[in-house]
Amino acid sequence: MESRAAHFCSEIDKLHAKLLINVGVTTDWQRAEKEINHQEILNRIESIILEIVTSLSKAEAPVLALPNRSSWANISFDSAIGLQMSSRQSVTTIRADCPSSVTKFAQILKILSVIYRLVQSNSYATKSVCLHRDIYYNNTKLFGSQKAVDSIVDDISCMLKVPRRSLHVLATSKGLISGDLCYMEEDGTRIDCHSSSTAVSVSSNISGIKNIVSSAKFVMIIEKDATFQRLLDDDFCTKISPCIIITGKGVPDVNSRLMVKRLWDELHIPIFALVDADPHGIEIMCIYKYGSVAMSFEAHSLTVPSVMWLGLLPSDLQRLRVPKDALIPLTKRDESKLCSLLERPYLTSQPEWQKEMKLMQQSKVKAEIQSLTAIAPDFLTQIYLPNKLRYGGWI
Amino acid sequence: MLKEMQQVLRLIMLMGKQRQKLGLRTGGGLLLLLWTDTEVSTQKLNCTVNCTVAAAGPWCAGIQMEALQPALVRLKESMCPCVWPCNEPDPEELSAFTDLYGSLRFLLSFQVKDTRHCTSEWQAHLEAFLRTFTLANAGIQIHLKLKINQEASLREFSVKVKRRVALADQLLLTLDVTCSAPPPCCVKKGCWCVRGHPAIGGRLPLSIPPQTMEQGLFGDLSVQVVTLLTPCLLPYPNVATELTHIQVLVYNPSNIPVTGPSGFFQKLPAVLDCQELGLYRVYCSSFKDLVYSGGTVYTVEKDSWDDPEQESSLPTVQQSLLLFFFLQHSDPFTSQLTDLMATEMLIELHLEDILNNNRQALVAAVQTELRNTLKSQNHRKKQQEKLHAAAEVILGSSMSIVSSSSNMDFRNACLSRMKVHDTHELAASLRESLWRVTSWKFVPKAKCFSTKMEVHPENDEPTTAEI
Repeated sequence: MESRAAHFCSEIDKLHAKLLINVGVTTDWQRAEKEINHQEILNRIESIILEIVTSLSKAEAPVLALPNRSSWANISFDSAIGLQMSSRQSVTTIRADCPSSVTKFAQILKILSVIYRLVQSNSYATKSVCLHRDIYYNNTKLFGSQKAVDSIVDDISCMLKVPRRSLHVLATSKGLISGDLCYMEEDGTRIDCHSSSTAVSVSSNISGIKNIVSSAKFVMIIEKDATFQRLLDDDFCTKISPCIIITGKGVPDVNSRLMVKRLWDELHIPIFALVDADPHGIEIMCIYKYGSVAMSFEAHSLTVPSVMWLGLLPSDLQRLRVPKDALIPLTKRDESKLCSLLERPYLTSQPEWQKEMKLMQQSKVKAEIQSLTAIAPDFLTQIYLPNKLRYGGWI
Repeated sequence: MLKEMQQVLRLIMLMGKQRQKLGLRTGGGLLLLLWTDTEVSTQKLNCTVNCTVAAAGPWCAGIQMEALQPALVRLKESMCPCVWPCNEPDPEELSAFTDLYGSLRFLLSFQVKDTRHCTSEWQAHLEAFLRTFTLANAGIQIHLKLKINQEASLREFSVKVKRRVALADQLLLTLDVTCSAPPPCCVKKGCWCVRGHPAIGGRLPLSIPPQTMEQGLFGDLSVQVVTLLTPCLLPYPNVATELTHIQVLVYNPSNIPVTGPSGFFQKLPAVLDCQELGLYRVYCSSFKDLVYSGGTVYTVEKDSWDDPEQESSLPTVQQSLLLFFFLQHSDPFTSQLTDLMATEMLIELHLEDILNNNRQALVAAVQTELRNTLKSQNHRKKQQEKLHAAAEVILGSSMSIVSSSSNMDFRNACLSRMKVHDTHELAASLRESLWRVTSWKFVPKAKCFSTKMEVHPENDEPTTAEI
């Protein structure tokens, strides 16, 4: 039994060993990044307010300069980190005398005042309810949606050059996690993710997690909640133990990304991605691995460049002879997205990924993970994933 | 006397209109000399007023007085009981005029016996008429010289800022767009638009009522609406505006203002859809500061359910709207000056019938113009409300940080910047400053501060030919 398990994990163990060598090179550098102290955060907020007061004293309209988080022109790529914001970035000006931007100006000031109070008291707002939601529900007319609050907190984090976690504002987590993992929340709550039937919500306060205990051999990031639930239902974590599975339910939120990063930093075990064989799934996988343009200013704490693409690979569709009626033609949007992905700076160092994507371009078809059920109902958990893990079918 | 002067003006304007169609310039000067020969009797002071109308400049260049004889004969018939000819005007008065505009192209003198013309009230009425005339004929500089009962006065009606507008049928008008409203105290020097920006509205065909046709009026009759909103607040996009007065001015096809009250326009407010316009009511009023005569003035009241407390703190500039109704007529069978003059007199005589005959269309046209004007006003109000709501949050958040800060350097820096002593004063000072900078945000617009053409009169060289 043990030898069978050992054989099953032999490729994973080899990968693990390889990764550990590379980790030694980068860890010291990452750990060198200092945490910003509370007084510095308060000083930065105060300097913004003083600028506003100074403008008004000169009878000038106050203006806020926000680094542009949506422009590729502000992005540079580092293979060890991923997509990060350039030191010289363009800014978007938010004016207080312009009706089209004054509401955003007010929203930013409001959240700054909330953050200021939180940092001053050096506390987190609540233990169980997300502060983003608190901010939104206390000012629904001002913000309009919780999404607006989320976006502005990111803008403030980028403007102040302070990690989100240091702002004492907690975002809603939509991700789920399960498997061989135990940890303690900041408030002392003990979390055990071993349950085979129900998953645990990803914590809202990743930086507060302590005492992580796990003997998992790998972490599997799953794109969709449906696939995640399927693996739970099929008791995957017990059968392919020990492992951890996590999903961000599509495009991951910051907490899901932080959790993956935290698991990597703590455990240094292989991290695989299981996504649909379509451009959207590939892009989601790239967010975990290399980061996003919008959060590039915090790339150091969010990216895991060691993520490997386990499946569903476009070459798997041919190799496994997935029935044609389970395949979906690429739309114009898919083709455009695929071209855009191929031009991204991070793919130049991933020839095997490029090959798979070009195969998708040529075949002009895509497929969801669920397409494997066309071969057999339990093909995914009984055949596909075990074989992939056993024989090193990742790229 | 006013009617007689209008007739003479009509003749000159109709001649000018014909020339305009030839692409010739329309600027120049008009001299009106009125002087009295007073006879004193034991019972009554009889006043005989002599009037000379003279024209010079490009707008009447090429006119031959001899060729005008048939029209002049007709004119004299229509101006009975004027006395023809009358005393000749002082040559020195004429030479001063010709020095400015060149040789006289038109000269006509007549005499009227009427005591009313010797009163200051009549003079005021005359001046108001001439101002209204200049409003739509800004290229013509009018010199009015009065010597009534030994008292002499000289008035010049010239325009500071004018604007050419092209109506349908390539008809060009030069409007007086000068805005004399003083700038609010928050406005810096040189940052106030002193002109209005006329907007050309729709051209509305008018059907001629049968009874008017029986009197001899045929052809195509239409009205072109032009609006002028003053003062201009385009460079101040964040200031709220409030339309408080509307004045309707009607001009006949020769571009002479139609004088006299109009029953149609006086009853117009009753049929306007105020609810659709977002107004409480519009009613006919006598605006005491009436500058222009012959028009109908309305007072506008907005919705009474607006928040009075918020309104009092929001800067609002009151605006007035001038609605020009330029009547236009064409008849292929009417081309002689005499016929044109007769047609115009018919139009004026039957104007009320014509307007009533086209009531629905005219009301709709006015509703449309008001809607367009108020659309901008409503947009400004929404923008200002947005700024106001956001300003409260900005101030509250900023003060929250300042008040709760334990950083004395930061707090002192904030207080010293605003030159206040405590956070209470700081809040008030920040509020006042924020409100001022956001409300009176200045965005220069080229059309408000351009020095091209609109300011300077046409630079026309006078000719040297004598009448």
